[in-house]
Amino acid sequence: MRRQSAAVSLVLLALLAIVIAQASLVALLFVFSLVLKLRLGIEIGGGAMLMGSQLGYGQPQVTLFNAATVASAVFTGGCGAVAAARRFNRWRPDR
Amino acid sequence: MKGLLRLYPRSWRERYGREMEVLLEQMPGELGVGLDLVVGAAAAYAVVIRGNRILSAAGAYMHGVCVAVLLQAIAFVTFILYAQGSAASPAVAELGPIRFAVFTRPHLFGGLGALGSAAWTRTAAIEWLLGAAVLAMLIAALALVLASPRLLKSLR
Repeated sequence: MRRQSAAVSLVLLALLAIVIAQASLVALLFVFSLVLKLRLGIEIGGGAMLMGSQLGYGQPQVTLFNAATVASAVFTGGCGAVAAARRFNRWRPDR
Repeated sequence: MKGLLRLYPRSWRERYGREMEVLLEQMPGELGVGLDLVVGAAAAYAVVIRGNRILSAAGAYMHGVCVAVLLQAIAFVTFILYAQGSAASPAVAELGPIRFAVFTRPHLFGGLGALGSAAWTRTAAIEWLLGAAVLAMLIAALALVLASPRLLKSLR
């Protein structure tokens, strides 16, 4: 039971880390789109959010589709999992 | 200044805390000393984390996630730079039938002739330079994140 609850906690913490990472990535992209004077549209599920100046009709626009959102989350989690598995297998106590 | 010792792991404080407090009482309370204490706390935590297999794997997970976020930000800015320089409009990032992103440019200067076109080219060049600066900054941040475990190890 203790092992199972530890495993569930580990999975939840890993998911939380991915959510925080994705939120910080969106914040980074928002800052970059402000610096580069772009309008940024992100598709999430059935909805979409548009960031940037509403008056900036003449600005170029970048739209990220659902595939990019899903691929981004999978890539982030995958990178973390590969790094953790590699460290777990190669770990040796310090002498 | 002594309050900064609370940043250190408990095991470290139990072993060296008293000694360090005495040492700090004899030192001037300068900014450099405070900075040294903060860096020392990071190095002490790195030692504790490296000593435990699960914590070490969790640290590597967080490190991998940070690298992934920076790589994606680099990919985003590279796509913008490519799209700004590309003649194709809209520029699309796709893999087979799957579309990831699209960059659309406004057609405001279409009817303004050579003057409007020159203004647009100048604006695009400035934005391209800005994009290149952002990309360089992101690559520097990625190099720093990739080197950080070795840097922390060398502080021991």
